[in-house]
Amino acid sequence: MGLRDPVSSVSSGLKGGEVSRGSRTQAWGSRLAAGARVTELGIVLRRGLDLGLLLLGLSTLLFLLLRATGDPISALASDDATPEMLAALRTQYGFDESLPIQYAKFLGRLLQGDFGQSMASGDSALSMVLQALPATLLLAFLAMGATIMVAVPLGAWLGSAPDRPAQRAAAAVVYVLQGTPGFVAALVLVQVFAIQTNWLPALGFAGPRTWVLPALSLSLFLAPKLARVVAVNVDEMMRQDFVRAARAAGAGPGVVLWRHVLPNAMLGAVALMGAQFAALVGGAVVIETIFAWPGLGRLLVQSTLALDFPVIQAAALVVAGLVFAANVITDLVFVMLDPRLNITEAR
Amino acid sequence: MIRRALGPVGIASAVSFAIAVVAVAIVLSGNLNADLNLDDRLTGPSGRAWFGSDQLGRPVLARVIAGAPWSLGVALAANAISLCIGVVLGLLAAEFAGAPRRIILQVVNLTLSFPGLVAAMAAVAVLGQSAMAVILVLGLLAWPLFARVVYAEALSARERPYLIAARIGGVGRVTQVYRHILPVLLPSLIAMTAFHFADMLIAASALSFLGVGAPLGSPAWGAMLAESRPYLFQAPWMLIGPAFALATTVLLLNLCGDALARRLGGRRRTELRR
Repeated sequence: MGLRDPVSSVSSGLKGGEVSRGSRTQAWGSRLAAGARVTELGIVLRRGLDLGLLLLGLSTLLFLLLRATGDPISALASDDATPEMLAALRTQYGFDESLPIQYAKFLGRLLQGDFGQSMASGDSALSMVLQALPATLLLAFLAMGATIMVAVPLGAWLGSAPDRPAQRAAAAVVYVLQGTPGFVAALVLVQVFAIQTNWLPALGFAGPRTWVLPALSLSLFLAPKLARVVAVNVDEMMRQDFVRAARAAGAGPGVVLWRHVLPNAMLGAVALMGAQFAALVGGAVVIETIFAWPGLGRLLVQSTLALDFPVIQAAALVVAGLVFAANVITDLVFVMLDPRLNITEAR
Repeated sequence: MIRRALGPVGIASAVSFAIAVVAVAIVLSGNLNADLNLDDRLTGPSGRAWFGSDQLGRPVLARVIAGAPWSLGVALAANAISLCIGVVLGLLAAEFAGAPRRIILQVVNLTLSFPGLVAAMAAVAVLGQSAMAVILVLGLLAWPLFARVVYAEALSARERPYLIAARIGGVGRVTQVYRHILPVLLPSLIAMTAFHFADMLIAASALSFLGVGAPLGSPAWGAMLAESRPYLFQAPWMLIGPAFALATTVLLLNLCGDALARRLGGRRRTELRR
């Protein structure tokens, strides 16, 4: 949850103390809190169980939380509704029954994939969520693509010679950008590229021109972090024995960096990339709101402000599932990239 | 070079002097006068309002300063709550292998795999808008970040020879944790608190920006950013004031955390991998 921004954090860091020694084993520790042997099938099974637990816990939490708000019906009905009309609405939505019965029915309906209808529009909550999904996925892929294209080469360059003046200056800029919250960056970008120069549309979702600013805002926030992690890993790999061996065998600096160092360094960065992508898939709430982007994040904001319970429930559960899937894929990518993980995993 | 010439005390007094001069200048220039002044609506930077004035003629600088206690206070309080919960649960997980550890780690991983802003928004919307609600929700949602680091470090601390010696020597569990493990964690915790302060500040501001944090019309930085949006064309300075305050504070907190981590030997920002 990171809580912080749309894009917060997920992975890593459980196995104690060995911070400097390669991040991937650490990321593993947190992923599989008590795993013994790590295999692809094991991951999928284990994560399937986790997903079930997560969805059950989340739906229970949502159920209780949303019913703690008081009377959702009074928010829904118009002010001049008679008590009879209120009672009829209550029966229609099933709020007149006792909590355990409501809960059982609620779970039963969820199992059948029935999330109910939006209280505001009457449309199926699930279909509203599924309609918002493509826009969010598009934004996630655009932002992640831009982030990787900028951050990986930049990080490799920064990490290859961290002490040279040019790299130090660039690293300082990256550090400052890293501290800039995503929505502040977005507002400034809108001011510069839409209001002052009128080069790009300030909001909306209509063709590639409207994609640029939202994706750029997200990348501006994500790329500095990724670049720094890549740089740290590259710097660390540059001091390994296999680099010295490659140099001794006559490999030039370019070959050493791009062929030998970067692929190994990327193992450490995959954890962060996975976490960033997972957070994006969950809906970049603030960015989508700023740019009127018709995705999951904006749908969640709107339905939360309107107390539209069925839509909040459907969106939250779908988001949880998606984030989970993204995390599982990250784990699988790990194992594929680094066969060493397949052999043993302590504790 | 400057650092060598002046030393830390010299730098500190130079910086304090500069801050004092700026503060006196702000007070004398009338920038702190946050009364409505409808003749000066949406005017650009001037002597009376260095960062321009808002839609009601109040200097932006005055409002940013007035909003600092809300924004920073909420972030600090949420930070303290998640620090306490995270340390206690992280230590419990490290100390008690088996069911407690499994449950705590499971909760940590599940919480971390859900977009927190969404959860926070829903919770604040339910609890009603107040500083207290934001503090509680952020504090209760963010503790897993602390718990994870505390757990990891406490686990490795337990393997150190002096702790094994303490165990063999019959030192009680509570004493072990309190006297021998907790001090080892301090460097990481102190640095992490600084980073986390920055994160909580961003989260609280994002909530206010979305309209579920600070109440309407409050000078909290996120709310000011939201308020500036209708005036993007006429008054860009309404955006610049709070955006600058927020970004600078976050940057300073991160620098602080990194400096502390370097000094004390804790984890630095990149190593926390978030």
